[in-house]
Amino acid sequence: MSGVRSLVAMKHVGVNVAADILMSSGYAGTNAGFIVVSADDPGQHSSQNEQDNRWYGLISHIPVVYPSSPRDAYKLVKEAYKLSEKYGHPVIFRSTTRISHTRQIIQLEEKIPFEKKCKGKFDRNIEKWVLVPAHGRKQKKRMMRVWKTIMEEEGRPPFITVYNPGRRRAIIADGIAFSHVAEAVEMMGKRDEFTLVKVNLPVPLPYKPIVEALKDAKEALIVEELDPVLELQVKKILYDNGLSIDLHGKDIVPENGELDLDTVYKSLKEFMGEPVTTPWKPMKPLELTPKIPPRPPVMCPGCPHRNTFFIVKVAANKARLKNPVFTGDIGCYTLGYQAPFYTQMTSLEMGGSIGVAHGLSKVTDEPVIAVIGDSTFYHAGIPGSINIIYNKGHAVVLILDNYYTAMTGHQPHPGTGKTAMGEETYRVPIEKIMEALGYKTYVINPMNVKESINKVAEAFEEYKKGAPVAIVSRMKCALEALRDARKLGIKLPVYTILEDKCTGCMACVNPIACPAIMVPKGSNKPVIIAELCAGCGLCAQVCPFNAIVLKEPGSPDWIKAWY
Amino acid sequence: MKERYNIILAGVGGQGLLTLGRILGNAAIIAGEEITIAETHGLSQRGGSLIVQIRIGPGESPMIPRGAAHLIIGLEALETGRQIVYANENTKIVMNEFLWPPPLALYPDINQIIEKIRERGLKLYVFNANKLSEELTGSIISANVALLGYTMAIDDELSKRISIEQVDKALEKVFRGKVLEMNRRVLWRAYEEGGKNK
Ligand SMILES: Cc1ncc(C[n+]2csc(CCOP(=O)(O)OP(=O)(O)O)c2C)c(N)n1
Repeated sequence: MSGVRSLVAMKHVGVNVAADILMSSGYAGTNAGFIVVSADDPGQHSSQNEQDNRWYGLISHIPVVYPSSPRDAYKLVKEAYKLSEKYGHPVIFRSTTRISHTRQIIQLEEKIPFEKKCKGKFDRNIEKWVLVPAHGRKQKKRMMRVWKTIMEEEGRPPFITVYNPGRRRAIIADGIAFSHVAEAVEMMGKRDEFTLVKVNLPVPLPYKPIVEALKDAKEALIVEELDPVLELQVKKILYDNGLSIDLHGKDIVPENGELDLDTVYKSLKEFMGEPVTTPWKPMKPLELTPKIPPRPPVMCPGCPHRNTFFIVKVAANKARLKNPVFTGDIGCYTLGYQAPFYTQMTSLEMGGSIGVAHGLSKVTDEPVIAVIGDSTFYHAGIPGSINIIYNKGHAVVLILDNYYTAMTGHQPHPGTGKTAMGEETYRVPIEKIMEALGYKTYVINPMNVKESINKVAEAFEEYKKGAPVAIVSRMKCALEALRDARKLGIKLPVYTILEDKCTGCMACVNPIACPAIMVPKGSNKPVIIAELCAGCGLCAQVCPFNAIVLKEPGSPDWIKAWY
Repeated sequence: MKERYNIILAGVGGQGLLTLGRILGNAAIIAGEEITIAETHGLSQRGGSLIVQIRIGPGESPMIPRGAAHLIIGLEALETGRQIVYANENTKIVMNEFLWPPPLALYPDINQIIEKIRERGLKLYVFNANKLSEELTGSIISANVALLGYTMAIDDELSKRISIEQVDKALEKVFRGKVLEMNRRVLWRAYEEGGKNK
């Protein structure tokens, strides 16, 4: 809007949240280069779904640039900016987990420009920025012109590259799928037998190089991860250009999960009509008794969420809050869906805990507790919290304040006291927000287990009487406490279990599942792995026999690391 | 095209696998070798299964097919056992003598894992990297570097591509000051140990 280049980054599902403005930005266009960087997560390494965001390009009429490797990404970002500035139009830069989480050596082509242009002037172009219907209709025409021109003109390297034109068999692959294809045909020694089309602008797919690559082909295979976005477009291109060839795609290449060298190798074999074998001979899994147990993600030693979940469950018993439904959200606390906590029974979208709790409180008579992390609360929980209280829902809102956006790598949020750029700023207290909305708000420090159980039980009593209740559980993320201890030169306490006092009752094992406590092979008494203990003291507070004591008391001021 | 050298790093989140990947990456830059390092992050910061796939040599596809690893470096016994599917009969395996069970789970003991891997006829080297790190630094924090130092001594194919001196230099890109010196000591002591057991 003001002539300054910009870039916004989010994961694939982030685009869902930004979809409203995304649609409008295609209509409005831009005054300087603008890129939406978004990484999809094929295989769902750490996401609620594996949606294919190339569709967003089609629905919003915004071109999608999609690199084949980290090195490609470096080169293509520049090309994406050029494209954006050439057409005055936003560009989606699509990555995937695999590309974003791979390291590769990149030779910088030039120095990063020293002078950055970060200031501009707002362009008072009302027709562009005020999308009332009259303006929107005009802008739509502009957008469709850009769209068609890109399809017509941009079918060139580095967006589309055709190798070995004129072969009988062609393979079209975009993004990382192309890297797998290139290695697979190389390994087969058949690189020259195929016409290969490397697609780095899958949406809208420029038709000229596709026609060029397929006009002499008898058969073609489209290799793409997830949905048949290329396939649909290629089929249309073939039809529009009167070409009829034997075209394969999702009938051979898997549509679920991540592609890799192995799957692509097998797909190519099938396409070639050869026996589906590979050159590698994997070992079978080891036969062990007991088997190697799965190692699902767990809360870290000292994680405040563990304390809070333990406290909430004991307090619910104490207050006779029978069988509450715990609606959940997305963050480290989602791991509470597992044994022994079961304090997350839904996890669907950012902020969903509160909306779902509101709905359930209307249509069931069960007690409902919405569990939401602090970062998620600031970003997506406040409207829902207003909604519950204003529209007379009845659910406890439990906010887990660990000072950080922990799961995604400790980014600051409005409760951290640091801006997104790392500058000092003030902290927005969650309890003040909830009090202002009209919630009876309780704040606990879950490191103090007994005191917190009493407070939470009191809160549940109030809830049972019909009061709107919020609980803020505040304790720093243990990883940050460990980091701060290191920075401040503080030694944190470490606990140990006295073997002669321990009865093997497992009260420190079964209800809290701390990874720092293990039961050695052949023993019935747990031990604490000193190296992993963060010194939160939860186990010592739950041990009924006072068998868990300090091994090392830590520095006198150790508690500072936790605040 | 020269065959890519495939290394699987296996372990538990928090054991320093990603740091190991960065060290090897920097060493590859110094050695002038192409490399891709694919890190799979799970949902948790600590305590989940983790593998890092490293491929040295020209090529862009970052993932190693099952059965195609030349070397598996395992920082934890259960995870080493789990990733055995990446091995073929010629794969070398270097395993930390350390078993860290997930909470609330039944698990096989480390000797059984060692035995079963050996039964497959695989070359398995077991080294107590935690102990060496503890001896030299007072904590297990450098077990990752210890296991790398040991591996550098026993795996000629790896040291043909990246030398121990280059790994030593790469430590400078990843650590600083006292921590750097500490890791250097660990690297070389473990390298010596590896040399004895080659
Ligand atoms: C729509 C959407 N945007 C972003 C994410 C990525 N994400 C996963 S967890 C999380 C926030 C976690 O922070 P918080 O609620 O404070 O919980 P913590 O991990 O600190 O316990 C985010 C932003 C997502 N899953 N969905």
